[in-house]
Amino acid sequence: MLNRPELWTAYIWPAYALTIGGLVALLAWSWLSMRAAERRSEALKRNRP
Amino acid sequence: MHRFANPARFLRIARVATPLTLWIGLALTVAGLYIGLFASPPDYQQGESVRIMYVHVPAAWLGSGGYLSLAIASAVALIWRHPLATIAARAIAPAGAAFTAICLVSGSLWGKPTWGTYWVWDARLTSMLVLLFLYLGYLALSASEGERGEERRAASILALVGVINLPIIKYSVEWWNTLHQGPSIKLTGSAIDGHMLLPLFLCLGGFTLLFAAIVLMRMRAMLAEQRVEARSRRLAEALA
Amino acid sequence: MKLKAKHQRLTLVVGAMIALGGAGALAFSTLGSKATYFYAPSDLVGKAPPTEAIRLGGMVEKGTLKKDGSTVHFIVTDNARTWPVAYTGILPDLFREGQGVIAEGKIDPASGVFTADTILAKHDEKYMPPEVAGALHKVAGKVE
Repeated sequence: MLNRPELWTAYIWPAYALTIGGLVALLAWSWLSMRAAERRSEALKRNRP
Repeated sequence: MHRFANPARFLRIARVATPLTLWIGLALTVAGLYIGLFASPPDYQQGESVRIMYVHVPAAWLGSGGYLSLAIASAVALIWRHPLATIAARAIAPAGAAFTAICLVSGSLWGKPTWGTYWVWDARLTSMLVLLFLYLGYLALSASEGERGEERRAASILALVGVINLPIIKYSVEWWNTLHQGPSIKLTGSAIDGHMLLPLFLCLGGFTLLFAAIVLMRMRAMLAEQRVEARSRRLAEALA
Repeated sequence: MKLKAKHQRLTLVVGAMIALGGAGALAFSTLGSKATYFYAPSDLVGKAPPTEAIRLGGMVEKGTLKKDGSTVHFIVTDNARTWPVAYTGILPDLFREGQGVIAEGKIDPASGVFTADTILAKHDEKYMPPEVAGALHKVAGKVE
């Protein structure tokens, strides 16, 4: 009863999918925003008058 | 304190620490999640659903631990007016809020097959929901602020006031009768079998390092944005 | 002068935190039992039975679970006092004798039996594989 397949499809997989999805989204957002901002900063430094 | 508050020094350290925390954190997390899903035993009472613990408990730890660091950074920002402390607080808040949300939803998905309900208004679940609202309040206040406005102080004050919720979350299961069970890991020992502690600690360590990596990357992004703003302002002044 | 302002802010924040802690403790002491999610049998025994819907929690006493069609009868204990419960419906997976339970319902004024319309299973903080639990059970059985 405690090992019925519904446990995986209805609860365990959704919980892991949400966690992994949330982690990947947070990491991707931080990484991309950091790279974009640091590139813009470098570009301005090079074009300093 | 002042030595670390120097942005140039911080950036030197952060450039080394970012890839370290990111890659070690990813390795520990992948190992922990894999063992948690496929290579750890089911529980004698709840069977397979115990596997949700390996994502739920680390998320809860970072939701509440993240709030403590948010409050400390806000206190430093309020008292010593360190710009780096404000940036740290603003970098912590979205990550902490995300982990709190993950904790609430994964807990709900764990509650249905074990307790028989997705949600109850007991002291632990309610105080954890209040934590999410505190994060959202901080995010809303700090997003509405100008460069150095009253709102920035308002956000920091909210972060400090909310600290009172942390002991309530921690001790709710001891002070009141709750549906949520008591703490499994105490200073005196653990009520969790060793085979289950392995994926739990791997995920705890991995998630914590990833949290640090996210905060470092957000801080670097905000510092770079500030440099861009300052440079373009100087450029505009020079041209005028 | 600058140092003074810094110290002033430090005192202000520390003072505010102490005041906040005091306010929280005060709120806690008045809130007290109202934040409780359920009552234990000891909270109910010897008092006028509440007529409104309440929650009763404790352990399902071993050897008291009786099935009568789709209705189950069992006794909830907090190791000091007990209370009889009746429930009709589907039980959660983790409901079993010797484990925690929370029943939502009313006390029948005539019989004094707690008539539940919802049953939630409450589990303890122990987690272990079935083999370990089985081994522990055997050891405990030998000691007895």
